[in-house]
Amino acid sequence: MKLLAHLKEAFLNLSSSKLRSTLALLGILVGTASVVAMVSGGELATNEALKQFKTLGTDLLAVAINDVPNDEPGSHQQINLSLSQANAIRAVDKNILDVAPYTQLYNPMQYEGRSVNGSVLGITNTFSQVIHLEIASGRLISSFDQHSLFCVIGSNLYDDLKKINFRDPLGKQLQIGQNFFTIVGVVKPWPENSFVYANIDSSVLIPILTSTTLSQYSTINNVILRLAPRANIEELNSHITQYINQEIPGKRLFFRSAKELISSMAKQSQILTIFLGLIGGISLLVGGIGVMNIMLVSVVERRREIGIRLAVGATRADIRYLFLTEAVLLSLVGGTLGVLIGIMIAFVIAWLWHWEFLLFWWPPIIGFSVSVAIGVFFGFYPAYQASQLDPIEALRSE
Amino acid sequence: MSSLISLENITKVYRSGLSDFHALKGVSFELNIGEMVAIVGASGSGKSTLMNIMGFLDHCTTGKYFFAGQDVSCVPEQDLAGIRNQKIGFVFQSFFLLPRLNALQNTMLPLLYRQTSTELAKEKALLMLEKVGMVNFAKHKPNQLSGGQQQRVAIARALVGEPDVIFADEPTGSLDSATGRDVMDLFHHLNQQEKCTIVIITHDKSVSQNCQRIVTICDGHIV
Ligand SMILES: Nc1ncnc2c1ncn2[C@@H]1O[C@H](COP(=O)(O)OP(=O)(O)O)[C@@H](O)[C@H]1O
Ligand SMILES: [Mg+2]
Repeated sequence: MKLLAHLKEAFLNLSSSKLRSTLALLGILVGTASVVAMVSGGELATNEALKQFKTLGTDLLAVAINDVPNDEPGSHQQINLSLSQANAIRAVDKNILDVAPYTQLYNPMQYEGRSVNGSVLGITNTFSQVIHLEIASGRLISSFDQHSLFCVIGSNLYDDLKKINFRDPLGKQLQIGQNFFTIVGVVKPWPENSFVYANIDSSVLIPILTSTTLSQYSTINNVILRLAPRANIEELNSHITQYINQEIPGKRLFFRSAKELISSMAKQSQILTIFLGLIGGISLLVGGIGVMNIMLVSVVERRREIGIRLAVGATRADIRYLFLTEAVLLSLVGGTLGVLIGIMIAFVIAWLWHWEFLLFWWPPIIGFSVSVAIGVFFGFYPAYQASQLDPIEALRSE
Repeated sequence: MSSLISLENITKVYRSGLSDFHALKGVSFELNIGEMVAIVGASGSGKSTLMNIMGFLDHCTTGKYFFAGQDVSCVPEQDLAGIRNQKIGFVFQSFFLLPRLNALQNTMLPLLYRQTSTELAKEKALLMLEKVGMVNFAKHKPNQLSGGQQQRVAIARALVGEPDVIFADEPTGSLDSATGRDVMDLFHHLNQQEKCTIVIITHDKSVSQNCQRIVTICDGHIV
């Protein structure tokens, strides 16, 4: 018989025991949906995690300059990198396009007599270019600011300050420690990311020289570099290490490149995706066992039919196809519906977590083909059993 | 008259656990083309066993089986389906129609297993249903038909593939006597008008009345 006739017949047979077929279908459906939803969810999470680098760019290198712990008394007078020394890092390697050293302070802040939460970053004019910071209103820190008492605030902090007296904080005074700073600019929301630890959105940005004068604890021990594309990171690291050791010996350097971060994040999320896929796969396996169970029952119930078909000349292969087609049809329909529902679940996940929703083509393909493979695999044994029945015994059974 | 089936000293032993059961104990039998033969015997005498062997549903234990002059005692298992499909038509006591298919689809079934196109199969099946007087019930499911009607559909299904011989195992066993007589008249008509070779198996002597030849089987022997 032809494929279409087989499918039609299988459909008729399945629809004659609707509840049972529906339950078997449901097993495959849930399994496929969970594979598709979990794998798509994993991919969406990866996409979300890597999205920060879309605005940030991937050609970044962060250098942290730390003191080596030293127990010798009297040696606590550590030498730190000066601004000119930090800026000179740019000349160390031709692949370094821009240098942005910054300092961090945790001085208490007050605005209109109320204390405000937030950290203070001392930055240069290059900072905004290197990490792609954009101004919302006012102006950024410029190189003319030098030791001046101007500051730029992040968007969250802007909102917080505005709530205090419902007036635009731009141009107002913000007290950091003992000093009053004039707010000259507000920056646009900046994506939270795992590359620059400071949360710019709730920070106050002040001129770096002001920050080093303000507090003895404010030292230049972080530098962010923008690199030429395809720069050799290893080589760069050793050049920078050499330079820093020569200028201020006795420091330990830590490097973090955006590229390495991306690849390690991608690897981690790949493991997560595989893991999620496996969990989904287990439920698909359970669905397959359900199909097998129902097909086995069906073979026992339809022994008489098998006998009749054998008597009128069906070959063993015909009988095998009859039952295999039913199993495959079950998983085909279950798989298709499962893919659709899986995509819907992924969409809901994205919506709940405020992620960007993307339709990945491969999780549905994997989910669908695995479900059909499961149908064939678990349908084969019952079909084989049916085909091996003895015609006389099959005819004699009730 | 030329011989269609020739059995020489056929035995059948059912092995069940410790004891063997000899269902056929050396049966020799000739069936000629165009004959209508009744095989009569008490219940349990081995009639169905004989029919299963002649109908390629089962193998004999020993003996020789010639079908259309060819020794078919040892045809391999995978060829049996094809032989049943092409050469044999079965009619059973409880009709054995597929409950989910209508009369027409049931009648078409043997043709579909020999790759006949659906249109041609439909055409042939309708012709057969006409012959057995069931063409008006083509779209009826078996449970919408009476016993006699179901048996007519089963006969149409047995005939549709133009087999060499039809085996009917107690074809009237589930029918009341009047309907049974109608069915037997149909067989007689098919034998006379369509030149079908027919073997009727029955334990009821009255059923075998209009058969040309009556073979009696008793306890695994032909007497
Ligand atoms: N598969 C089997 N296993 C064991 N004994 C069987 C089997 N089939 C039939 N028999 C026995 O063989 C004998 C003949 O059976 P059968 O040919 O069906 O008789 P009948 O003449 O009533 O059709 C019976 O006694 C029956 O019990
Ligand atoms: Mg019998």
